Amino acid sequence: MLSLLLLIPFGGALLLALWPGNPTKGRMRTVTLVVLGLQLAWSLVVLARFDPGNSAMQLQESLRWVDSLGLQYKLGVDGLSLPLVLINGSLTLVSAICTRDIDKRPRVYFALLMVISGAVNGAFLAQNLLLFFLFYELELIPLWCLIAVWGGANRDYAATKFLIFTAVSGFLILGAFLGLALLTGTADFSLTPITSERLSMGAQLLLLGALLVGFGIKVPLFPFHNWLPDAHTQASTPVSVLLAGVLLKLGTYGLLRFCLGMFPEAWAQLAPGLAIWAAISVLFGSLAAIAQKDMKRMVAYSSVGHMGYILLAAAAATPVAILGAVFQMVSHGLISALLFLLVGIVYRKTGTRDLTVLHGLLNPERGLPFTGSLMILGVMASAGMPGMAGFISEFMVFRGSISAYPLATLLSMVGSGLTAVYFLLLVNRAFFGRLAVTPITDPVVHGRLDVNLAAVAPRETIPAMALAVGVVAIGLLPAGLGRLSEASTTAMTQLPALAAALKSGGLG
Amino acid sequence: MVWLIPLYGFSGMVLSLPWAAGWIKRNGPRPAAYLNLLVTLVAVAHSSLILQQVWQIGPQHLDFAWFRAADLNLRIGFDLSLTNLAALELVTGISLLGQVYALGYLDKEWSLARFYALVGFFEGALAGVVLSSSLFMSYFLLEMLTLSTYLLVGFWYAQPLVVTAARDAFLTKRVGDVLLLMGMVALSAWAGSMEFQDLYVWAAEADASGALSPLAGTLLGLGLIAGPMGKCAQFPMHLWLDEAMEGPNPASILRNSVVVTAGALVLMKVMPLLRFSPLATTVLLVVGTISALAGALVAIAQVDIKRAFSYSTTSYLGLVFIAIALQQPAIALLLLFAHGLAKALVFMSVGSIIATTNCQDLTELGGLGSRMPATTTAYLVGGAGLVGLLPLGCFWCFGLLVESFAPQQPFFAAVCLLTNGLTAFNLTRVYRHVFLGPPMPKTKRAPEVNWLMALPMVSLTVLVALIPALMARFNPVPSIGSIPWTVTAAVLASGLAGVAGGALAPLNKFWSRSMIQPLRVLQDLLASDFYTDRIYKATIVAAVAGLARLTNWVDQALVNGLVNGIGRLSLASAEGLKLGVSGQVQTYVLTVIVAIVLLLISLQWLQV
Repeated sequence: MLSLLLLIPFGGALLLALWPGNPTKGRMRTVTLVVLGLQLAWSLVVLARFDPGNSAMQLQESLRWVDSLGLQYKLGVDGLSLPLVLINGSLTLVSAICTRDIDKRPRVYFALLMVISGAVNGAFLAQNLLLFFLFYELELIPLWCLIAVWGGANRDYAATKFLIFTAVSGFLILGAFLGLALLTGTADFSLTPITSERLSMGAQLLLLGALLVGFGIKVPLFPFHNWLPDAHTQASTPVSVLLAGVLLKLGTYGLLRFCLGMFPEAWAQLAPGLAIWAAISVLFGSLAAIAQKDMKRMVAYSSVGHMGYILLAAAAATPVAILGAVFQMVSHGLISALLFLLVGIVYRKTGTRDLTVLHGLLNPERGLPFTGSLMILGVMASAGMPGMAGFISEFMVFRGSISAYPLATLLSMVGSGLTAVYFLLLVNRAFFGRLAVTPITDPVVHGRLDVNLAAVAPRETIPAMALAVGVVAIGLLPAGLGRLSEASTTAMTQLPALAAALKSGGLG
Repeated sequence: MVWLIPLYGFSGMVLSLPWAAGWIKRNGPRPAAYLNLLVTLVAVAHSSLILQQVWQIGPQHLDFAWFRAADLNLRIGFDLSLTNLAALELVTGISLLGQVYALGYLDKEWSLARFYALVGFFEGALAGVVLSSSLFMSYFLLEMLTLSTYLLVGFWYAQPLVVTAARDAFLTKRVGDVLLLMGMVALSAWAGSMEFQDLYVWAAEADASGALSPLAGTLLGLGLIAGPMGKCAQFPMHLWLDEAMEGPNPASILRNSVVVTAGALVLMKVMPLLRFSPLATTVLLVVGTISALAGALVAIAQVDIKRAFSYSTTSYLGLVFIAIALQQPAIALLLLFAHGLAKALVFMSVGSIIATTNCQDLTELGGLGSRMPATTTAYLVGGAGLVGLLPLGCFWCFGLLVESFAPQQPFFAAVCLLTNGLTAFNLTRVYRHVFLGPPMPKTKRAPEVNWLMALPMVSLTVLVALIPALMARFNPVPSIGSIPWTVTAAVLASGLAGVAGGALAPLNKFWSRSMIQPLRVLQDLLASDFYTDRIYKATIVAAVAGLARLTNWVDQALVNGLVNGIGRLSLASAEGLKLGVSGQVQTYVLTVIVAIVLLLISLQWLQV
């Protein structure tokens, strides 16, 4: 059942790599779309078979692999991973759809896209630490290639930076997993919080610290966020969609599943500090976004801010907060993907993303009115406007965290207010005013009114419209997603109590 | 079926989308307007029907589950009390009149469909706010109002002033909303339920048991009043309403009458929760007083005809704030109702003037009185309805306010009287500028407006003239005789003094800035709204911008610099090291073995 979620994309990649002859770009794109469509359809089948009332791992599959290492092929899905699998399925499809003007090596490009999708699925479904790590690393190299080969002018720098940061993150995570096995003396890498209970608090804190930094790089949290803006600015639009929408979620998923899930006791000790860290990350990301001139960098920094909410929710670890974290992952996935898509359209039509150069793009005849309208919707969703996905997620995160960490939560809310500031700057500068695509420093040139941007074809906006519909749908009817994840997230919050009870022998 | 009422507005928005997005280009955007008018008409009819029913069977409560997870239970609730339904009637009615009016006012506007889509959204959110029975839903819809205000103010987004106006409207309200969100999230965590009734019960219990620390209570109170303060354009968050006058006039009609009313209604609903926070009540009083007086004064110094009345809205809502803070919600409601209708009428006549003359500058207008009789009548009736002089709506409000404040809080009674006088002064001044005097170049050819604008204007004129009768039906108002004659005399005197002052004050179209130095300084101070925008620019805006630059510098110079430094260092050391490599395989193997041994030893040590 779940293995098909891996087999479809990996098989698709293999199929494309071995496709006989010299197929056209269009043919390869079609094959990719079919494969990714199948993958999404199969995720929906999994959704249909999933029982939301059950908080345990479901549809488990397991296969002995390398017993001596403790490496087991074991998959399972619960309310935390299923929404992310769905997001992965839809966003990879979106990013394949919006790949049109690819100039070099389309075969490799599309194959890598499918490999990433499969690896991400694997990481979300893996029930074995080593297996998770394998998939976590597997996604790294293809993404590096996607940035380094198909990226912008300064792509080498950005790709290398991305590679080094994420590789360090991988080392730390692997180190923590191995350390756990060594210190407990068993080569059992299955996912249980019980394992960590045998360790002293010092050892737990050490391992948790390594994991925190490791996943903190991936999320990214201040001060490990440095690779993200560069990677985004150099990556092409579809890659940015994937990176922001799906790959960052690996970090937050890791925080919830491995940090909170495996070290509940140590987590509870560190939580107050983590809440402050989250608030700093939120404020730093938001303030830095205000100062950006490049639209893509601005959206990238907004990711830093918005992912901070998830750490805050994880630190509070109340049922509402953790459910809010799942909501935030899904809604950030959709919203940031939407924003990157729209920025991509603007870039393609005007050749620039510079906010000091773009003006008045909402112009109804010669500008990009529809893209602009969707952009307004996207930034409002990101700023937490009710009726869209961002609001209900942020509300739940704040509502779940305020009793535990009032100060950090209030500061994070300030960050949410700052989101409105920078995104309003973006819309006001680039979309309002008189249409012009020149720096405003030169009034003579700026006075030219003969800008005539190419019309945006409906097929270019269809993926963005689909995402926008998703954002509004979750905002108006959050109950579906809530039902899907509630049992699992509530179960996660009981881990600290469970662990404490175990420690005292209460459950024995 | 009452849940349909907010949906009418939203459905109007959805129905307009095909034209607004340009998917249907044939026959122009008018069908979108007609569809919106139709659904608004249905909304008016439906709300009247429900008002009739509730009148007979008493208040009702309706609610639906929306979302529940763990201990969070969010519901959609409607409180069908007479007050809420009367407010709903006001909202839908003024929205209908405004939409008919807009059809005439925006006659040649190319994006008419977009306007109607936004107005539909606006109306739906407003209808929801006045009916909502929970703080969560009120917040939800208030934010939607913020968004639709932003889009309506930014309707003509190609103009530079509109761009800044829309930005300021959004950000000012957003500041209020974020503070309200903080209050709401805290309340949700403490009290559990978000229904106003449950919150009142919780507040009474928490107050009795002292469960809430004074600091938390005060912060909660301040958070809760911040949202309505932003919505009602109270000092110091009033700037947006003035700038919002850059938007199309039909939206200004709605904004100055019903949006501010919705904000004040939310304040009334959270009022019982402010019992923890004496400071919040004090803040309300201070803010209300400053807004009432400063708003009225600033209005007098404006030369833009729309701004002259938008500041007066700030001023009246200041009075409403005072009334709410002094526990006179009934009078506050009455004032909101009377002010809402009268202000809408004044804005309709202002819109007619602008549509006919294409001019908003008072010093370029004159002599319209004989040329535009319906507009003149509307202005006069609206103006009379706003001040306490003739026995129209606001006369009773001022009378009741003064009567209830005078024994205990004479200061606030004086504030009311002063506001009344200043408003009368402003209205008379504007009347002289616009309708009297010789015609100016821009007003020589000034026919009366087309029927689409005249019809709603005249209907509203009749309605405003009938306000006392309406008030007598809904909310038994004492007859003139029952208000003490001293109060009547005081209100009349303040109104008369204002009119006389306005009639006698020197008005010079060519030297609109006074030539007497002290007066000129005062006039400049008021005309530029106490330089509020500059103060903001120098403080908050500068602070945020500075912080952003500082953060960016930290990010680029420190964090990024460190990363790049490490990168360069490792490259440089590699360059250095490559010269020191021996090339002998044996040494490599030895190194590797030593390293492995060390690693294993360290592991042994760790395990022990």
